[in-house]
Amino acid sequence: MKIFKFFVTQIFLRKAILGIGMILLLCMANYITFTAARSILSTFQGYQETNYINQEGVYIANLDPDSPMDMGFISESGTQAVYDYLNSNFDYAFYTDGFIVSIPNPDGMEISLGYMNEGYYNLKQFELSQGTDLDFNYQFDREIPVLIGKGLSKTYPVGSTIKMEESVLGRPITLKVQGVLKQNAYRSNYYALNSKTYYNFSILVPVNEEFLNHAAIDLTLNGLMDVAILGTTKEETADLGKVINDNLGLEFNFLSQQDNYDYFKEYYLHALKMICIITFVLLIVITCLSIWNAFVSVRSMLKDFTINLLVGLSDSKLKQIFYGYFGILSFLNLTAVFIITAFNRYGCWLRKDATFATYGLFGLIGMDWLAFLLVAASDILMGVIVVESMLWKIKKIPISLGVLQ
Amino acid sequence: MKKSLFRPTDILELSIAYIFCFFLNLLFDYGKTLDLDSYLLEAFLKNYMDYRTLIVLVFTSIAIVFHYQMLRRKKEEIFCRILVGATVFHITIRYIQDCLRILIPVYFLSVLANFYMNFNLASNFYLVLILITYILISARQVRKYENF
Repeated sequence: MKIFKFFVTQIFLRKAILGIGMILLLCMANYITFTAARSILSTFQGYQETNYINQEGVYIANLDPDSPMDMGFISESGTQAVYDYLNSNFDYAFYTDGFIVSIPNPDGMEISLGYMNEGYYNLKQFELSQGTDLDFNYQFDREIPVLIGKGLSKTYPVGSTIKMEESVLGRPITLKVQGVLKQNAYRSNYYALNSKTYYNFSILVPVNEEFLNHAAIDLTLNGLMDVAILGTTKEETADLGKVINDNLGLEFNFLSQQDNYDYFKEYYLHALKMICIITFVLLIVITCLSIWNAFVSVRSMLKDFTINLLVGLSDSKLKQIFYGYFGILSFLNLTAVFIITAFNRYGCWLRKDATFATYGLFGLIGMDWLAFLLVAASDILMGVIVVESMLWKIKKIPISLGVLQ
Repeated sequence: MKKSLFRPTDILELSIAYIFCFFLNLLFDYGKTLDLDSYLLEAFLKNYMDYRTLIVLVFTSIAIVFHYQMLRRKKEEIFCRILVGATVFHITIRYIQDCLRILIPVYFLSVLANFYMNFNLASNFYLVLILITYILISARQVRKYENF
């Protein structure tokens, strides 16, 4: 320990610029690894999560990007006709969110309302930390049972009621808390699997046929955009597409399980490959620069190293000192990445960004910790390459020559 | 470059360091023009595009490391030159001139690349100012080796 302290304070820190150079390069390597790891992990997490909807016989509706949207043509009677057809011919999973309401809560967050029908609820299988499952056979003019996120559970415990003056029904409604979702429950966007909406400050409202019949067109039309038709065939969805076209003038595509797999392969796998290649190339470049920096350090500190080797410092001890020093640099960098990530996560709380606010140590979630683990692994790999290169360089120079320098 | 502190390997190393900094800047300019149809890739690249100046600045640290280590290696040579009649002032001026002789062609090369790729010609000028600042700061180090 004494010799290590001597090397750090009397040799490495006396040429601090070289150490700072290495810290900055490591910082870039860590940032690149962290962002790549998080993008990849988040995408696979989204892919796994959406497996509940990506099943045989399930078709996901999607508005054709080339379809003209004439709001003048879209009417309540048109959407009603589509829903009548849906209700009488299909089982479907309905979900739509993004309806923001102001409900008092200690964190001052704007609350996002998500609406779902029984088909979606059964498919998604929400995990609850408190309370019981939702009941969809309610009278919407009385109390509506809802699920809430963890962030609201202290203010609105199970059994309490939330009064809303404005709603998609166009009149005040009363919500009754039936259950609390597990912390950091989320939903991935079907078309951007790496993007997630966290439910910590959300209220999930069950909708039934009667509710939909009385709901505003915003809700019904939005819900159609991502509606999933269950246990059906291509031909039946084609008929539904025709009904939608006739009543709303919109062209819809219905994506089967195979279409989704193909889309994933074509779109996501290609992007993931690109991310891996970019990350790999950048890491190689940074490793080369780090080796150059290490060689420069050896060149500048050669006299100190060789004198210590001459007076009895063993190669293995020198190796330990180098690994220890690199370990300190890596630790400093990991701490910096941790602080930046925590600040980023905590920033969502400061900005009152309810859809991204997460719970955990400084707001960090499992995906972040896993990415940290990968960063630590990449640091170890880089450390081995750089330290071994330094030792190789030192061993190549005869001690007498080093001392003379 | 008869009386220069620079050897061919030093010139090569510094040129590579400068080229790397300008190339990185060019790469960011290129990234900005990409029309990506992938949200995932776009979100990933945004992590870098948002901090492009900071990232380029971090990588310019290799130029700092170069100046620092080169002058440290040359301290005996500087001392010997002073012994045989050179002055610190002239060594410093020559050092600055040599650095600029490497920096200016690299800058013009990058301007040419920007011109060829239809990018903003002034987008890398800030790098010249930063690198000149490094040269001027490192030139002060020459004076430190006056008394070996």
